[in-house]
Amino acid sequence: MTAAVASSVLWPEALIDQEILAGGLALIPALMLAHYRGWRIVTVLLGVGLVALIVMHLSPLLLGVSLRGPFLILFVVAPYISIALGAGWFGEVRRYQAELRATQLQLIQSEKLDSVGRMAAGVAHEVKNPLMMILTGIKVLAKRLPAQDEQTRLLLQDMEDAVERADRIIGGLLNYSRDRDLDLALADLNDTIERSAMLVKHDLENAHITLVSNLEQGLPRLQLDEFKMQQVFVNLVSNAIHAIERDGEIRITTSLEKMTSGALVGHRKTDRFSRGERVVVVRIEDSGPGIPEEYLEKIFDPFFSTKPTGRGTGLGLSVSQQIVEMHGGTIDVGNQDTGGARVTVTLKVDREETPS
Amino acid sequence: MRKRRILLVDDEASITRALAMYLTENGDCEVCVENRGSRALAAARSFKPDLIFLDIVMPDADGGALAAEIQSDPALKGTPIVFLTALVSRRETGGATMTIGGYPFLAKPVHPETVLASIGEHARERTN
Repeated sequence: MTAAVASSVLWPEALIDQEILAGGLALIPALMLAHYRGWRIVTVLLGVGLVALIVMHLSPLLLGVSLRGPFLILFVVAPYISIALGAGWFGEVRRYQAELRATQLQLIQSEKLDSVGRMAAGVAHEVKNPLMMILTGIKVLAKRLPAQDEQTRLLLQDMEDAVERADRIIGGLLNYSRDRDLDLALADLNDTIERSAMLVKHDLENAHITLVSNLEQGLPRLQLDEFKMQQVFVNLVSNAIHAIERDGEIRITTSLEKMTSGALVGHRKTDRFSRGERVVVVRIEDSGPGIPEEYLEKIFDPFFSTKPTGRGTGLGLSVSQQIVEMHGGTIDVGNQDTGGARVTVTLKVDREETPS
Repeated sequence: MRKRRILLVDDEASITRALAMYLTENGDCEVCVENRGSRALAAARSFKPDLIFLDIVMPDADGGALAAEIQSDPALKGTPIVFLTALVSRRETGGATMTIGGYPFLAKPVHPETVLASIGEHARERTN
């Protein structure tokens, strides 16, 4: 391009070939767009075309003959190539805008979690002491109670349950203010999932829910804090159980995949995965009613819960998200086409160990 | 066998009052209460407990430093100490025996039955 412009300036008589100049100018943005989008072959072809145009433009001066004939087709196709790539580029811009919005929402969510964590650290100590006083008082009174006073005993039991519930909420809150270091070690994710499943076996049986595991064998071992990741899978399966309530199926699958697209896939600093990066994906699908669209945006908000009062703290998914993100992964919640919810946990396969 | 001598050190008077009541009524214990951390060492010297339940966060003393002082006191050296703390949740201990600075701890809010069990497990046996 520089050469073409320079030649036009240096040899004003060359400017008479306006068609060649127009073709060249149309090729330049096409070339830039193709380069930006990473289409190497198109970039090379357009580059060759541009060089050809420059040669053609200068041929009467340099070679004494005009070479424009064979390259006329470039004048016709160059503007169309530019328009096509430009349209694609605008699509790309829109996609990046959507991704930017998703990233911003994620940052807001992180900030929200941090605020909750700071608050939790402050209030936990103050709340746990009165809870202990109440609990001990209940126990003293229960011991003094005449055996026949069943109603008062029930009342005391309700009070004790209330203390336990408050303690659970505080315990969940404290998870936010904990040291965020992970106790990482190479681990088999399938084993972690199976151990988590054992912890909810009783709940599954009580609700007559079948757990179907389809775990890909030979997955690379991952750097995991097994205890925390177990907490994630227990939370997710427990949520699925609550969603189904009774008689249904939960499917857990694991697979080794390559990241191709998504809001956090790319080469920018804010992207969590790069294109083509190997990841292990865990999908937990249930046969429940699915999640209403209006809930999906706030599903990770602390204290957001669709469970009846007293059954959930509304922190399970928030904690799970925090843990997965601490592992450099992502967690997504959505609905399956066939109904029921699907939670997808995506974990990086960096610092992996070759499967044995 | 004589009663176990238990020293409760916690700045929350309501907790020590209720716990002392429970342990006295339901365990074979003699309980001494101290709500000021700064006076805990003196209370321990005078009461000579078989076990000390020690709050970690108190306005006028640090439970960890107090434990070190108690262990370095010739008259109290070897006295078992169990921390009471609101810093760790009961769920995190997973029911397993965990320690802070080498001392076992109970996470608040702790069931008084658990406190009794802890006395059975950790209190020093004395025949005289």
